[in-house]
Amino acid sequence: MGLLQNINLWGDDIPYLSGLREKSRISFEKNGLPNMKNEAWRFSYIREENLQNPIIDVEPVECDGHCHKSKSLPFDAIKIEYCNGKLHTENQNLPKGIMIKSLVEAIYDGDVKPYLNKSFAGDDFPFAALNGVYLEQGAFILIEKETILSTPVYIKYYNHADKNRLCNIRNLVVMEHGAKATIIEHFCGEEKAVYTQNTVNEIYVGNNAELRHYIWQNEAKSAHHIALNSIQIKADGRYFAFCANGGCMFSRHESYIRLLQEGASAEVNGLYKLTTENQVCDITTNIRHLAAHTYSNQLVKGVAKVKAKGVFQGQIHIAPNAQQSEGHQLHRALLLHNEAEINCKPELEVFADDVKCSHGASSGDLDKEQIFYMQSRGISKEDACSILVDAYLNEVFSLNKDSNISEWIKADF
Amino acid sequence: MSDMLLQIKNLYAGTSDNKKEIIKGLNLNIRAGEIHAIMGPNGAGKSTLSYVLAGKHDYEVTSGEIVFKEKNLLQLAPNERAAEGLFLCMQYPVAIPGVTTNVFLKHSINAQRKYKGLSELDAAEFLKLIRSKANEFDISPDMLKREMNVGFSGGEKKRLEILQLSLLQPNLAILDEADSGLDIDALRMVAEGVNKWHNQNNSLLIITHHLDLLNYIKPDFVHIYADGHIVKSGSKELAVDLEAKGYKSYLEE
Repeated sequence: MGLLQNINLWGDDIPYLSGLREKSRISFEKNGLPNMKNEAWRFSYIREENLQNPIIDVEPVECDGHCHKSKSLPFDAIKIEYCNGKLHTENQNLPKGIMIKSLVEAIYDGDVKPYLNKSFAGDDFPFAALNGVYLEQGAFILIEKETILSTPVYIKYYNHADKNRLCNIRNLVVMEHGAKATIIEHFCGEEKAVYTQNTVNEIYVGNNAELRHYIWQNEAKSAHHIALNSIQIKADGRYFAFCANGGCMFSRHESYIRLLQEGASAEVNGLYKLTTENQVCDITTNIRHLAAHTYSNQLVKGVAKVKAKGVFQGQIHIAPNAQQSEGHQLHRALLLHNEAEINCKPELEVFADDVKCSHGASSGDLDKEQIFYMQSRGISKEDACSILVDAYLNEVFSLNKDSNISEWIKADF
Repeated sequence: MSDMLLQIKNLYAGTSDNKKEIIKGLNLNIRAGEIHAIMGPNGAGKSTLSYVLAGKHDYEVTSGEIVFKEKNLLQLAPNERAAEGLFLCMQYPVAIPGVTTNVFLKHSINAQRKYKGLSELDAAEFLKLIRSKANEFDISPDMLKREMNVGFSGGEKKRLEILQLSLLQPNLAILDEADSGLDIDALRMVAEGVNKWHNQNNSLLIITHHLDLLNYIKPDFVHIYADGHIVKSGSKELAVDLEAKGYKSYLEE
């Protein structure tokens, strides 16, 4: 069947939309899936056969609803829920200053033209191009100017095990100037489900706006997960992201961030935990400082408990005019298994001469002296190791500004 | 003999990586309630003895026997030795970044309770216990909220070791150079804590190379330790004699 399937989607008769799909198709046909010759994917390419012939499911979702009834969240949230890749629409009273529409509705209303497919080039992101071929499912979230949203937006993605689906979802987030909001993405699926979750978020952070973005990737064990977050940040805008990768056979979480104007800043932190044999988890970032006085910081930590592979690729680009900018990056990995593999590729491209940049990478085992000290107080070796791993991961959790959300993720991580 | 707490019989031990023999034919008996001091020059292998007793991974016993409370100590994992009642007060307590002192102490108390078949303390019970003990050792609630031994001064680390001695209530405490790097006040505090814990059932093994601590904690027996075994045993007077003559005179005997 292949990944390019001829199916009827909503809006094929709208030239604007069919044009975007066609453009994406051309790009995907030209480039195909990335392989090990593709520098950006050489540690974590995926073969088409590994996806096991997923279908593009156009049938309406027949769901008893248990999947999208969120296990009670320990915090109030504005909910957006996807089941088997389809947006569930549910009436809820939204606070003032936020607008949420389905992507289809937003295309129909003409809201999306300045944003949709505008933040990246399909040729650079093969899975995002594939996502564009089936552009239909998604949400358009607009936070109006100067709105301080105290309730977070919670987006849940759930997949059932009945079919192997390729779910292409495109969310657009537009933060107008001075707006503040928190978005949580929660990826999960039925235990035995096999599917490919291919999500693209296009995020626009306006002047002096602030977005906190929490991603909890806890997909089903045999699932595949590819996510691109393409983010543009204007003057004094702030983007803070935390992604916790716990599930999945193959996952790639990619952030493509442009600090467009002075004072823009981005903080991208992440964790990954490898607990399933042959699991692959990739966190890739590309942060482009395109104006003076921009700031970025990254802390990514991983722990490999089995024979599996972790990847961190972090690119910091500082343009010639981006003087007095700062870009920092640190990746640490704990290797708790002899055959675990960690690939780390820091890349700094600095074209300005008055900047502060740093990067660091380390990998190693737990400290034997610490384990012995804990044992000498009665704690078993096994418990000591697990306490030390938690402590190691906790450094990243502790950077989260919303402790209730952070604790909620930590409890299951 | 029922009041025998620890018996070390003809022990030979060394480091496990380069097989270097450090303890060579050591014999020592400690009965319940006794205080023993092992004194020896730098590099005699005194710390090796404390690590072998606690079960540290990079030391290996090549022959001999250690019986603790009628159990073969060498068959027990370090945490089992601790839960059986052996406590090593370390010369250099290890920092555990990311784990607060409170959390660390709760883990260790509950691990030992679990081993003994007792119910684990819940948060409220633990807090009650730790507050009363911390007060006793002049340890502030702020210190307990800090990460275990991270950025603690030498004195603070030792105070925390003694707090653990008092919380865990072992039967045998080994003080490995407990006096190193301490000022008089801190030394006195350590000694007071140890004396408060010590009773007719609890025994103490003090490992040291000078007399300071022995002025505050009175040993029943003093052993001079050199070249991996005890060269002379005696009463407290032996330590005084040792101070006057130096180790050299005993090593030449």
